[in-house]
Amino acid sequence: MSLRDLPIRRKLIIILLLTSVVVMMLMRGAFFTYEYLTFREATVRQLTMLGGIIAANSSAALAFDNPADAREILAALAAEPHVKVAALYDRNARFFAGYPAESPPSAFPAQPNPDGYRFVASTLQGSYPVLQKDLRLGTLYLQFDTGAMLHEFLWGSLRIALAVMAVVLLAAYFLARRLQQQISQPILELAETARAVSERADYTVRARKWGLDELGLLTDAFNQMLGRIHQLNQELERRVVERTAQLEAANKELEAFSYSVSHDLRAPLRHIDGFAGLLLKSDGTTLSARGQNHLQTITSSAKQMGMLIDDLLVFSQMGRAEMRYGPVDLHQLAEETIQDLKAQNPNRNITWQLAPLPTVRGDRAMFRQVFVNLLSNAVKYSAPRDPAIITISATTDSTSGEQVVSVQDNGVGFEMAYAHKLFGVFQRLHRAEEFEGTGIGLANIRRIISRHGGRTWAKGELGVGATFYFSLPPAAPSA
Amino acid sequence: MAILGRGAFARWGRILAAGLWWLLLPAAVAQPIAREYQVKAVFLFNFTQFVEWPAAAFPAPNAPLIIGIMGDDPIGPFLEEAIRDEKAGDHPLELRRFQRGEPVDCHVFYLNRSETNRLGPMLDGLGGKPVLTVSDADFAARRGAMIRFLNENNRIRLRINLEAARRSNLTISSKLLRSAEIVKDTR
Repeated sequence: MSLRDLPIRRKLIIILLLTSVVVMMLMRGAFFTYEYLTFREATVRQLTMLGGIIAANSSAALAFDNPADAREILAALAAEPHVKVAALYDRNARFFAGYPAESPPSAFPAQPNPDGYRFVASTLQGSYPVLQKDLRLGTLYLQFDTGAMLHEFLWGSLRIALAVMAVVLLAAYFLARRLQQQISQPILELAETARAVSERADYTVRARKWGLDELGLLTDAFNQMLGRIHQLNQELERRVVERTAQLEAANKELEAFSYSVSHDLRAPLRHIDGFAGLLLKSDGTTLSARGQNHLQTITSSAKQMGMLIDDLLVFSQMGRAEMRYGPVDLHQLAEETIQDLKAQNPNRNITWQLAPLPTVRGDRAMFRQVFVNLLSNAVKYSAPRDPAIITISATTDSTSGEQVVSVQDNGVGFEMAYAHKLFGVFQRLHRAEEFEGTGIGLANIRRIISRHGGRTWAKGELGVGATFYFSLPPAAPSA
Repeated sequence: MAILGRGAFARWGRILAAGLWWLLLPAAVAQPIAREYQVKAVFLFNFTQFVEWPAAAFPAPNAPLIIGIMGDDPIGPFLEEAIRDEKAGDHPLELRRFQRGEPVDCHVFYLNRSETNRLGPMLDGLGGKPVLTVSDADFAARRGAMIRFLNENNRIRLRINLEAARRSNLTISSKLLRSAEIVKDTR
């Protein structure tokens, strides 16, 4: 488990403890260096002092050639256990007396060192002149076992360091445990509040503010955000309720309208058609050819209007009808539609080019409507062509994953400037005399495709042809 | 050479001179006797470092400190060698040979063992003057000489009559006393 994954409490404690340890080690290191230098200095001073005393005392022993006395003086060094070796040399640098007395002469340097001290291996060796007044009588050699002294010193120092470190660490730990709450507590509460909000979607809870520091600011900002979200949420809900009510009202009006269209409008239309037919039957022979022609026009216009009303009913149904989802084989659907259209237009020379189409999820009846409308449009607007070429194909958009189906014809086409009007209700780019139709087909297609989560658009060029597209999202929408 | 000090040149000179002296002595006796005199001469010189004379013993602060011997004492050349260019404090050291019967006027006086019978009259003659009297005569210390040389296992030992020194206002360093044997008058 790395440091970054630890809970913030422990992270803070670890950081504080680590800092204390490093600081303490650095301080201890500096202090130790100082102590060590002091220790060396003190050792040298001790040696020099001892040397001075012993040298001063041994002058007569050297002056009057009394090695026994000299040995006795040196024997006093037993009081200082770190002195391992001591020796006196006469003025001619010959060995005179040694300490410990029982050591053989070979245990002592044959010649005294030059005056002064030096550290050799783990010993401190000093040579001091033996003087009486200004007269040099010989040399005193002293050897400290600094190895043992250093060992003692190091152990003492280490023990103290460890003891201090243990106490300091303990104190630092308890201090850190208490002090880290200053930082961790507000963060933890903030985190707890955030968790409560995200789990229960309860935007009324608020995080407690602990102080005026950055965490306090963060808490304030968090609470403000919560308040804002709460407010927006409520407003949104209110609006949804409002809009839903409006939409329901509008829908009811629309239904009422559809009802009146289907019944109230069709009744008088049937009368017009019926009575025009009766008139033609009963008095047709008495009417002039021109009058008969007028009656003919009245009958066909009434029939045209009936078709218009039927289409409008279908259109309004498409908007409201419950969708029945299932797999829809677009290819099969296209083939069936083509067969129907071939049967309906036996006199037309049409070349159908059908590329493989995918199977999608959706309402089969609605898709049938789409193909009927799209293909019959293509047939209708390619009437002046011999042969008319209608191409149906499908592609998959590589970036969005949408499936795009296109129907291309080589008919009369349209001006791209009016492309946006194509899919509107009753929007027609050609006169009714030229191409019959109600102007509802493309509006229907758009409605169906958008209910399936897709888009519709068209490209065309006047006199060259038109291509109509619809797309379906990669995963068919679930109802 | 470990010890290089102000006495280095003088010391080498002394050693050289001592060497020449041995060549002049009859070979059979030369070695041990010469060695003994040499040691005694050095001791006599060393005494000047461990003994304090009253200021009145010197006519001037830098007046010479005089070591006296009987005229023909064989220690003479050794002593001359030992004290050449040396000083005791501010006092240069000087050897003076006194004739028999001549009044002894010096700071250290050495009386050879061969002159044992002159010891008593000579000490009487000094009568409390600040003169450090040294001798190797038998019982010299007990008879009133301040320091006696004693030959013990080929080593020169010292016997000191502290009272005699005190009577003459001489202060002997405790360090010197430490390596010597203290005796008292018996007469």
